[in-house]
Amino acid sequence: MPVWRSSLLVLFAFLAGAVAVLPAVARADTPDAALTKLIEDARAEASVSGACLKPDLDRLVRVFCENRLRPGVREYYPLFGTRDGETRSGYDVDVGRELAKHLGVEPVFTRVNAASRVPLLAGDRIDVILATMGHNTQRDGQVRFIRPHYYQSESTIVGPRALAVKGWPDIAGRTICVNIGNGSNAQIVSHNARLMLFDEAGVLPDRLRDETCFLAAQDDSFFDYYFTDPGFAARYDKKFGFAQVPWGMAVARIPATDRLARAFELMSQIFHRDGVFIDIARKNRVGTGFLERQQAVWSRPECNADTGAANPACVLPALKADLEPTPFAGRVVAFEKWFRANTGFDLSLPMFKTMPAWSLFKAGVVNSLILVAGALVATVIFALVLGAVQSTRWRLLRWPGRAVTIVLQSSPVVLTLVIAAAVAHAIFPYSSSVALGAAIVALGLMNGSNAGQAIAEAMHTLRTERGSASIRTRTLFGRAVGRSATQIVSFLINAAKGTPIASFIGAPELLSALTDITAFASGRASTYSLLLVFYVVVVMIVVWLCGKLRILLERRHEAP
Amino acid sequence: MMPFLSKIPDDFFQQLLAGMVVNFEIAAIALVLGLALGGLLALARLGGGVPGAVATPVIGLMRAAPTFVVMFFLLNIIPRDATLFGVGVAPSGIMTVALSLVPYSASYVADNGAEALQQFRRGSPLGALLFLPNITRAFFVLVMSSSAGAAIGVTEGIAVILREAALLHGLADKLVLFAIGILLFGVTLQVGFAIIRLLQRHLGRIATRDGKGGT
Repeated sequence: MPVWRSSLLVLFAFLAGAVAVLPAVARADTPDAALTKLIEDARAEASVSGACLKPDLDRLVRVFCENRLRPGVREYYPLFGTRDGETRSGYDVDVGRELAKHLGVEPVFTRVNAASRVPLLAGDRIDVILATMGHNTQRDGQVRFIRPHYYQSESTIVGPRALAVKGWPDIAGRTICVNIGNGSNAQIVSHNARLMLFDEAGVLPDRLRDETCFLAAQDDSFFDYYFTDPGFAARYDKKFGFAQVPWGMAVARIPATDRLARAFELMSQIFHRDGVFIDIARKNRVGTGFLERQQAVWSRPECNADTGAANPACVLPALKADLEPTPFAGRVVAFEKWFRANTGFDLSLPMFKTMPAWSLFKAGVVNSLILVAGALVATVIFALVLGAVQSTRWRLLRWPGRAVTIVLQSSPVVLTLVIAAAVAHAIFPYSSSVALGAAIVALGLMNGSNAGQAIAEAMHTLRTERGSASIRTRTLFGRAVGRSATQIVSFLINAAKGTPIASFIGAPELLSALTDITAFASGRASTYSLLLVFYVVVVMIVVWLCGKLRILLERRHEAP
Repeated sequence: MMPFLSKIPDDFFQQLLAGMVVNFEIAAIALVLGLALGGLLALARLGGGVPGAVATPVIGLMRAAPTFVVMFFLLNIIPRDATLFGVGVAPSGIMTVALSLVPYSASYVADNGAEALQQFRRGSPLGALLFLPNITRAFFVLVMSSSAGAAIGVTEGIAVILREAALLHGLADKLVLFAIGILLFGVTLQVGFAIIRLLQRHLGRIATRDGKGGT
């Protein structure tokens, strides 16, 4: 064989080999190849005898051992997760089915809601959260989010078209219905809005329709479904949007989920690149704008690689919502664990674990004490003023005094508070201090009018008893106060007991503060138990102090 | 007044009256439950011994419990899907408000019931009969307090008023609307107190007649 021919053969063989090897090298870099290898390895491990019985079994291997994937999905979130009998539907549900299909196992769905999804994952009741969960930095510490994100939404405030609400300044002092655990609750609270909490987002449109709620906040994706109803769209509109947040699937934050998380990351990349997410979104009538943008991103060479999910140029950052822990958060967590271990009861103290919650809690306690003290002082002042006015012999003063008392007695407590707040806000710009002041005046007027009436009645009896005997009016009034001590004390206690209702007009007392805290943290049961104990103790202290006051007043009354 | 009326829906008064019926409904439930629980506590307190020793601080705690806080406590402590023997026991909004008023009504009934029983044992049936007007007074206090339900979305009278007020722009219009609410609740309250006075007079006449008959 001539040299040139053998050289040509060698060159040909080299080129043929290179052509044969190159695609294999390229395939190894793709998410598809990485996923195939990951699944094959895990399947092989699962097929080894006894492998499925190992403790701390790798979660991906366990999926193949049990031949099932357990996604946690919502059941009351139209377009994303709903259930009609045994039929589940929605974008999240179909994504769960597609994940299971790619793994070659059966999906077994479990119902979750915004509050239960993380605890169910931590308790190993589900393998993956697929439940409209926004990815924020706060949640990064609780679960392991899968990137790329499988959807994105922003929070929106919805209300009647006739209601003029255009931005945050119009929200202050208003009540907004939200579901517990919604990522944007903390932001709403920071704009001085009051929250009305619900367990499930699905009830919000119904509560708007039956006018339980005037404004509701939820993801725009959630309300999109309801705005397809012409009746709903005619009555309500989106006021404004805020807090754009990517949604993430999530697995438990433990080493055993490393490969499961990796499998989901690779599948999410492939689903974006191949338009699988877009197809699922179209099938469920979900907006596709974000998904189309993501398809372009994940089709780029630098992103369409097995390392794409770790490339900052390809993935979206989490929404920054870190809540700074308190210096003693560790000790609080240790105490919770100790309590659980020794009593069997779950105790959650979210107000001591993060700085925003701790600040709200401290301010709530201080404001509650100011409110109680203010209400007591206002009650005494209004009692004395209205008592004096109603005791005077001048009809021009006495009759208006009586009229004011009858009006105040005829107005339900909530209405009196709202009137005081409306007048205060017409004079001063909205602030927590104004709400606190308005509440003090309202509580003082309500209870002071009744106590004042008692003083006036006592004055009348004293005058009748003494007939024409000459006695200074001031002295007589002092004795009337002493005679009506029991009534005054009773209304002082009533004023102290009534202070929590000030939260209705946005006064930042403890009930208000704890409602805000529970809107973005867990532990409702222990939080509200603590609240009840706090107020009962405060009222009992007031009862004790008022008992002392009554003795003092009665002694004055008995004095010659 | 006419320009104002044009700003509120035609069925506003109908809705308001329907809402006030809810206030009465809440008060009635709270009073019935309060009579049952308060009656037992009154008997226990008068009976002395261990039940009496338990009843006294329980009544004290119920007296000190703020209704509004109890309402939020119940709302947040009972799961929405709570069941007992397979039957859903999660209270509705109306029931939650009614239950939150029970500590007040039960402690009131316990205090007044114990007093009435003591009067009866001392041979003063008229003193014991004062329990009836006192309970009627408590009922109207409960009607007014039930407005707290507006805070948790119960569509009672005040919630109807506040809903309309949110759509009005000027303070003057809002104050007119609030005045309508005060008028309606006020008339109800004053009629209630008139009934109490009539009841007291009637009991007084009975006592006077019995007193004359006895001498």
